[in-house]
Amino acid sequence: MAEKTADAIKYKILKFLDVTGFTVFDPMVRLAFGEDPKKQVESILKFFVTPILFILACTWLWWTVAPNHKTKSGEVPTPDVVWQSAVINNTFSEREKAKESDFLLVGEEREQALAEVEARIEAQSEILTELNAKLKEQEEAYTAQLDERISPLQAELDVIKGENKISADERKASIEAIAKEVETGETGSEFLIAAIREDGEAKDLGRDAESIVKDQIEAIRSEKFKPLEVARLDVNAVADDIQFLKKRVDFLSDANRSVKVVVAKEKLEETKANLAGAESSKKAVLEAKKVVRGEESIERLEGQQYASAMTVYLQIQRSLFTVFVGFFMAAFIAIPVGVLCGLNRIAMACLTPIISVFKPVSPVVWLLIFQIIVGAFFPDPESHPFFLFFNSLPLIGGLGINPALVFSACTVAMCAVWPALVNTALGVSSIDKDHINVARVLKLGFWDRLTKIIIPSALPLVFAGLRISLGVGWMVLIAAEALSSSDGLGKFVWDEYQNGSSFSFANILYACFVVGIIGFLLDRMMIVLQRFVSFDGGGTSL
Amino acid sequence: MKTLFTRVATVVGLAGLTSLVQAEMLDVEKDELKFGFIKLTDCAPIVIAKEKGFFEEEGLQVEVIAQPNWKQLLDNVINGELDGAHMLSGQPIAATIGFGTKAHIVTSYTLDLNGNGITVSNDIWKQMQENDPALDTDAPAHPITADSLKPIVEEAKDAGKLLPMGMVFPVSTHNYEIRYWLAAAGIHPGMYTSTDIKGFTGGDIELSTTPPPQMPSTLESGKNVAYCVGEPWNQQAVAKGIGVPVTTNYDIWKNNPEKVFGVTKKWADENPNTHIAVTKALIRAGKWLDATDADGNLVNREEACRILSQKNYVGADYDVLKNSMTGFFYFQKSDKRAMPDFNVFFKYQSTYPWYSDGIWFLTQMRRWGQITEPKPAEWYHETAKEVYLPEVYLAAAKHLLEEGHIEKGDIPWDTDGYKPATDEFIDGIAYDGRDPIGYLNSHEIGNKDFLQAAAE
Amino acid sequence: MAFLEIDNASIGFGPHDNRYEVLTDINLSVVENEFIAVVGFSGAGKSTLISLLAGLLKPDKGEIRIHGEVVKEPSPRLGIMFQNYSLLPWLTVFENVALAVQQVFPKYTKSELKEHVEKYVAMVKLSPALGKKPSELSGGMRQRASLARTLAMQPEILLLDEPLSALDALTRAEIQDEIINIWENDKRTIVMITNDVDEAVLMADQIVPLTMGPSATLDEPFPVNLERPRNRTTLNTNPEFRRLRNDISKYMVTLNEETKALSSHQSVADLPEIMPLDFTSLPAGPARGRRRPAVSQAFNPKVTFFK
Repeated sequence: MAEKTADAIKYKILKFLDVTGFTVFDPMVRLAFGEDPKKQVESILKFFVTPILFILACTWLWWTVAPNHKTKSGEVPTPDVVWQSAVINNTFSEREKAKESDFLLVGEEREQALAEVEARIEAQSEILTELNAKLKEQEEAYTAQLDERISPLQAELDVIKGENKISADERKASIEAIAKEVETGETGSEFLIAAIREDGEAKDLGRDAESIVKDQIEAIRSEKFKPLEVARLDVNAVADDIQFLKKRVDFLSDANRSVKVVVAKEKLEETKANLAGAESSKKAVLEAKKVVRGEESIERLEGQQYASAMTVYLQIQRSLFTVFVGFFMAAFIAIPVGVLCGLNRIAMACLTPIISVFKPVSPVVWLLIFQIIVGAFFPDPESHPFFLFFNSLPLIGGLGINPALVFSACTVAMCAVWPALVNTALGVSSIDKDHINVARVLKLGFWDRLTKIIIPSALPLVFAGLRISLGVGWMVLIAAEALSSSDGLGKFVWDEYQNGSSFSFANILYACFVVGIIGFLLDRMMIVLQRFVSFDGGGTSL
Repeated sequence: MKTLFTRVATVVGLAGLTSLVQAEMLDVEKDELKFGFIKLTDCAPIVIAKEKGFFEEEGLQVEVIAQPNWKQLLDNVINGELDGAHMLSGQPIAATIGFGTKAHIVTSYTLDLNGNGITVSNDIWKQMQENDPALDTDAPAHPITADSLKPIVEEAKDAGKLLPMGMVFPVSTHNYEIRYWLAAAGIHPGMYTSTDIKGFTGGDIELSTTPPPQMPSTLESGKNVAYCVGEPWNQQAVAKGIGVPVTTNYDIWKNNPEKVFGVTKKWADENPNTHIAVTKALIRAGKWLDATDADGNLVNREEACRILSQKNYVGADYDVLKNSMTGFFYFQKSDKRAMPDFNVFFKYQSTYPWYSDGIWFLTQMRRWGQITEPKPAEWYHETAKEVYLPEVYLAAAKHLLEEGHIEKGDIPWDTDGYKPATDEFIDGIAYDGRDPIGYLNSHEIGNKDFLQAAAE
Repeated sequence: MAFLEIDNASIGFGPHDNRYEVLTDINLSVVENEFIAVVGFSGAGKSTLISLLAGLLKPDKGEIRIHGEVVKEPSPRLGIMFQNYSLLPWLTVFENVALAVQQVFPKYTKSELKEHVEKYVAMVKLSPALGKKPSELSGGMRQRASLARTLAMQPEILLLDEPLSALDALTRAEIQDEIINIWENDKRTIVMITNDVDEAVLMADQIVPLTMGPSATLDEPFPVNLERPRNRTTLNTNPEFRRLRNDISKYMVTLNEETKALSSHQSVADLPEIMPLDFTSLPAGPARGRRRPAVSQAFNPKVTFFK
C-alpha cells in the first residue's frame, strides 16, 4: 500500500516535470524513489552532469579569453565582474527600498533609525579618512613609479629630439648652401632636389625614432596600477555609502513625510491664530486663503509617496507588463483574424498581401510609426482619462503607464501578431475532415461549429503560434524600450551604454542574462499552456 | 529697461498674494513634475535641485528621467510627457523658429557656462604636433587653434577625402563651437542649405551628428577623427587613451552659454507659479554647485560628482566626473590643468537668461545656413525675447532674495538682457548682441547679410 | 415499401474533361430494420457511397430517399459511424456523446442528458471510460465510443463505414457481437460497409457487392438466410455459411480479375497487387486485417479464434 502511494507520488512528480518540460530532472526523481539506480545514475551523468560541465567549460573559456579581448573603449568583463554588477544593481535597489521605508517611518522608530544612521555615518567617515589617506599614498606611489620609469625614457627622447634638431639644422644649412650654388650656377638644380628629398627622408627617420620612445612612454602611462585602482574602488564604495546614508538622514528628518506634515500643521495653526487676530478684512481674507491652502497641502503631504528611482527589478516588472500588454493585444487581433482567414479563402486572399508585406518590417520602424500614431491619440497624456484611469488602478498603477509604454506595447503587438495569426489560420484551415463531417452530421450551427469543433481543434497550433509570438515580443520589446526610452530592461541597457562607466559593459552583460532567463521562463510558461490544450500529447521542444 | 520692470511686476502679480509675504511657498499649479535630462555633467543643477531637496522646499515632487538623445528629449517635452528638460541652448531657439521640430519652447534659466571640449584622435594629434613643433611637449600652450590641423585637412581633401568629425546635434553649442574653431583657422566646416540639411555643402571636412556616448568609440574606430562634446566624454577619451582634447569651449569663447532649462510656452503659460518655483530651486542648485570657501575652492563639487555618478543620473565613474567638475581638466594623461571655470553653474551672473546669448545662437544658425533667409536685426531681438524669459527668472530671484537664499549681487537686477560686448573669442572677433548683423558680417567664412547691413 | 432507396444515383469528381466517375447508377432498396452489408474492394467507392447515403455528398444525378423523402443534407436521422472513429480528441467520451445528444435532443435537462449518455455508453460497455479522452483509449474502445455516440442520437438508419477494419481480430469479433446484440435488442435499419466477407455473412441479412471502380455500381444482392442468432463457433461448420462465403468470394475475385484485364491499359484502377490475395484467403478463415500480404498464409489459412 505504502509502495503504491509512493509510486503515485513519483508519477505525479514525473508528470509535472514532463508537463513543465524539465524532464532533465526525471532520473533524479526516479533515483530518489529507488528505481533502477544504475540506469538513473548513468542518465544523470549523461544528461545532467555533462551539460553542467560543458557550461562550466564555457564559463572558464569566457574567464580566460575575456581579459585578453579589449578595445580602448572597454574590455569584455569576466564572469566575476558580471556577478559583481548584479550585486551592485541589487544594492542600488536595496538602497531605494531603504529610502522609501525611511520616508514613511514615523514616531520613535524614525528617531531611532535616524540615530543609527548618524552613528553609521560617523563610523564610515572615519573609515573614509583612512581609505583616503591610503589612496593618497597609492597615488603618490603611482606617480613615483611612473616618474621612475618614464624619466629615463624622457631623457632619451630629449636626446633624440636634440640630435634631430641639430641634424635638421645642419641639413637646412646645407640646403641653403646648395641653393646658393644653384643660384650662381655652380651646381645643377638636381642636387638641390636631391638634398631636399634627403632632408624629408631624414626628418621622417628622426620622427620615427621619436615616436618609438613616445609610444613606450604612452604605454607606461596607459598601464593600470592595480593597487591604486583597488584603493579608488574602496574609497568610492565607502563614499557612496556615506552619500546614501546622508540621503537617509534627509528622509528620516526634514524630508520625512510625518515630519513634513507636522511642520505644515504647525504652520497652519499659526495662520489660524493670525486669522483670529486679523485687524483688517483684507488681512483676514488673506489669512483665510492661507488656511485653505495649508489644509490642502497637509492633505497632499499625508498622501505623498516616495518617488523611487528605477531599479532593475522595477524595470523587469515594467518590461513584463509591457510585453504582456503587447502580447494580449497581438492575441486579441491574431486569433479572430486567423480564424477568419482559416475559414474563408476570400479573407485569406485579402489578407495575405498585407501579412506578407508587413511581416518582415523591422520593429524599429513600427516603433517610430506608433510613436506618432499613439502620440496623436493622447495630446495631453498627463491629464488624459485613459492614463488617469490605468494609473489609478492598484498594482499596475505604480508602473507609470504612459504613452511610451503604450507605443512600446503596440510595437510588440505589431511584431508578435504574425506568428500567432499565421498559425491560427493554419490550424483552422487544416482541421481534420472527419471532424468537419461530424459537425455536418450533427448539424452544428456556425457558432457551435466554431466553438466546439474548429477552435478546439486549432488550439494546439494557435498556442504554438502564441508561443513564438511571445518570444518575438520579448525580443522586440527590449529594442523598443532602448529606442523609445520607455522604462524597462531595454532602457536599462541603453542607459548603461550611455553611462559609459567602468561597470557599463558588465551591466549590459548582466542585463543580457536577465533578459535571456526571463525569455526562457516565458517560453517555458507557454510550453506548459500549450501542453494543457494539446490533445494529441504534442511533445515539447526547446 | 522700464518695460522689463513692468513685465516683472505683472508676473509677480500673477504669482498671487503670496509673493508679498516672505518665506512663503508659491501656490504652484502642478506639484508633480517630470524633467528630462541627457547624461552629461551639466545636467547637474536639475539633479542637485532634486537630490538636495530644493524642489521639495518649493513643494514640488520632481522625477528626473534620462533621455536617450536630444531629439527624443525635445519630442517628449513637446508632447507633454515631460514638463521640462535640460536642453541645448540652441534647442528652444531652433524649435521656436521652426528649424527641425517646430514648437514654441521658452527658457527662464541658463544651466551653465562652458563645459565642452574638442578632442582629436591620437593620430591627428601626432600630425598636428608635426605641423607645429610647439605642440610637441607634455603641456603645450593653450589655446590651441586649428591652424596646425589645416594642412592635414587639406592633404586629405587633395586625396579626395573629407575628414569626418562629430558633434552631438545640429543646433547644439558643440556644432557651432567646432565650426567656429575650424573656421577661425580657415577650415570651412560646410554650410546648411535648404536642400542640404546635413550641412556638408562646400565643407573641407564632414561634420555629422553622433550621440555623445558613442563619441570615444567612433574616434577609436576611425569613424570620426575629431569631435566636440560635453563632459565626461572628453575625459573618457583621455582616460582610455583614445584621443587628445585640444581645446575647450572656454578657449573658443570665454564663458559661453551652454545648456538651458526649457519648457513649452504652453506649459509656462498654464503654470506660471510652478515655473517660478522651479526656477527658484534651480537658482539655489546653481548657487550650491558654485559655492566656494574662503580660498576660492569649490566646496560642493565632490558631493555633486558622487550624486551624478549614480546610475540613474550621469552614471559615469566618479573619478572621471571629478576631473572636470572639480575644476581640473586632463588634456593628456601628463597634462592636468586647473580650469576652475570649466563648468560655471552660477558665477558671473551666468544663470540669467540673457537675450544676447540667444542672439549669438541665432547668428550662428544664420552664419551656417540653418536659417536660410537673411533676417533683419529686429527679428533677432524679437526672437530672443520670445524664447528667453528673464521676467520669470527675476521673479524667482526676488523671492529668493527675500527668503535670504541669495545675495543682491548674484543677480543682474537692472540689465536690459544684453551682456556687454566681448572679444574673448579664439579669433578675437568682438560680439555685441545688440548688433547681430554686424557680427555676422565680421566673419570670413559663412553667410553674410550685407543687404540688411546696408539698409540699416 | 422500401424504407431506404437509392434511385439511379451517380457521382463523380473532377472537371468535365478529366472526370473520374466513382459510382454510376447505384440502385438499392432497403426494408425497414434490415441489416445490409455492402462488400467491396478498397478504393471501389465504398466511403463515397456511405457519404451519399449520409447526405454528406450530393449525387450528380438520381436521388436517395428515406420514407420517400429525398435526402439533401446530413441529419441526425442518419447516424453515421466513421471508419476512423472521428471522436473529438479534446472531449471525453461523455462529452463526445453528449455533444451529439444535445444536438438531437436540445430540450434535455442536464440530468436527462446525463442519463441518456450514460445509458448508451453502458450499452457499448464503456462506462468505466466515461471521463477519458480518446487518446487514452484503445482502438476498440474508441470504436465503441463512436458507436455509442451514433446510437445515442437514436437515428432511423445506422450507416457504418467499415467500422471494424482498423481493429485487431479479437476486438473485432467482440464488437461484431456487440453490434448484432444491440441491433437485435433495438431494431434499426443498418447499412454497413465492409471489406470482410465473413463479417458480412455473419452480421447481415443481405450482402450487396460493390463492383470495382471507376464507375462502380451495386450488383445483385446475396440474401443471407442463416438463422439468428448466429453463433460464430458453430457457423464455421454450417454448409450454408460456407457456400455463401465461397460464392461471394469467388464473385469478388472474378470482379477483380475483370477489372485487372480492363485496367491493364489504364492507369486509374491501379490497385495494389495484394488485394486479391486478401479475398482468396477468406473462404478458409476470417481476415485479420485488410491487407495481409503473406501469400503462404493466404493459401493456408488458419482458423485463429473460432473453432
